[in-house]
Amino acid sequence: MPRRSTLAKQIALLAGVALLFASFNAGLYGLLTRRLSNNFGGATQAKMIDVRRYLPFEKDSDLARANASLRLSGDLPVLDGAAALVPVYAAVINALYPEGSVTYEGGAFSDDNYYGENFAPDSKMQYKNTVRGYKAVVDGETDVFFTAAPSEEQKQYAEEQGVTLRYVPIGLEAFVFFVNAANPVDSLTAQEIRAIYAGEITDWAQVGGIHRPINPVTRLQGSGSQTAMDRFMGETPYGGKSPLVLFGASIGYSFRYYMEGMVGNDSVKMLALNGVAPTKENIQSRAYPIVAEFYAVYREDNPNPNIPLLIDWLLSDQGQRLIEDSGYVRLGG
Amino acid sequence: MNEKTFYRLLLALVIVCVAVTAAHFAYDVYAYRHCSIIYFIAKEVWGHAAP
Repeated sequence: MPRRSTLAKQIALLAGVALLFASFNAGLYGLLTRRLSNNFGGATQAKMIDVRRYLPFEKDSDLARANASLRLSGDLPVLDGAAALVPVYAAVINALYPEGSVTYEGGAFSDDNYYGENFAPDSKMQYKNTVRGYKAVVDGETDVFFTAAPSEEQKQYAEEQGVTLRYVPIGLEAFVFFVNAANPVDSLTAQEIRAIYAGEITDWAQVGGIHRPINPVTRLQGSGSQTAMDRFMGETPYGGKSPLVLFGASIGYSFRYYMEGMVGNDSVKMLALNGVAPTKENIQSRAYPIVAEFYAVYREDNPNPNIPLLIDWLLSDQGQRLIEDSGYVRLGG
Repeated sequence: MNEKTFYRLLLALVIVCVAVTAAHFAYDVYAYRHCSIIYFIAKEVWGHAAP
C-alpha cells in the first residue's frame, strides 16, 4: 500500500509540473501569441497588402478607373511605392500605360521576397514597400516612387550616393492613432499622446479610460508611419517601455487610408485628435491636426521623358480625381 | 518507481517544459517585432470593463 501511495504521489507531481507549464504556455498564447500568429500565413499578408487586389488591367481589380487624356508610350517609367499607395500607382498604370506592361508572378515569402510579392524584372509595376523602395529609386531600379515623407536615413542614403531626389506632393493623407474598438477612449490630445509615448502617462485611467496599463506600440524603423511618428514626437525621446505592458491595452499609429480602405478591421477604431476625427472633410479642411502630404519621388537626373508627363498628369484635375477616387484626399481641396 | 528513476523523469520533464516555454518566448519576441500592429491591437483581450 505505501508503495502505491508513493507512486501515486510521484505521478501526481509529474502531472502537476506538466500542467503548470502547459497552463503558463496556454496563458501566454491567449494573451500574446494568438495576436501575433496571424501575420505570417498565406499570400494575404495582413500587415502589408494583397497586391493581387490592385493589379492593373484586371477586370475584377479594386482599382479606381480614370478616362485619361494622356497615354504613355516608349520608355515607360517603372513605378513602385509604399503599401498604402499601391492602389494609387497601380491605378495610374491602369490609366496611362499600355496593357501588358505589368507582369505579376506572385510568390512565396522568403528572405529575398520579404513581402511575398513578385513582379517580373521587366514589369513596369513593382512592389518593394517603403524601406527597400527608397533604396531602389536612389539606385535607379525604380523611376517613380509613391510614398509618404522620407526618413532621415533615407535622405542620408540619397546624399551618400550623390543622388538628388525630387519630391512632388500629389495628395493628402492623415496620420492617425488607433486603439481596440472596445477601448472606451475615443479622443486624445496631441499632448496626451506624446506623454503616452514618452512614458509619462502609463495607464488608460489617466486619460479617461479604465485602469489598465498602456502599451504604446511602435513600428519598423524606416517605414512611412514610423517616420511620421518620429516627426510627430519631435525631440521627445520615446520607445522604451516595460515588457509587462504587452499585456495592457495598446495604442498604435498608421495612415488613415491604410487602416480604413485597405485593412478595414472593425475591431480597431481611429481616435479623434484634439476632438477632431480624421474624416476626409477634416483632412481636406486641415481641421484634423496631422495632415501629411504624400509624394511622387524621382531622381532629378532621370532622363526618362515620360516622367514629367506623368507628374503633370498626376497634378492635373484628372490625376487628382483618380487620387480622390482611390480613397485619398486631393491637394488643395 | 524508485526515487532515482523518479528524479530522472522529473528532471527530463522540467528540461522539456523549459525548452518548449523558451521556444515559445523566442517566437513571441520575433513575431512581435514583425507583426501587424493593427491585428495585434484588434485581437486584444477585452472584457466588459466600465470606465
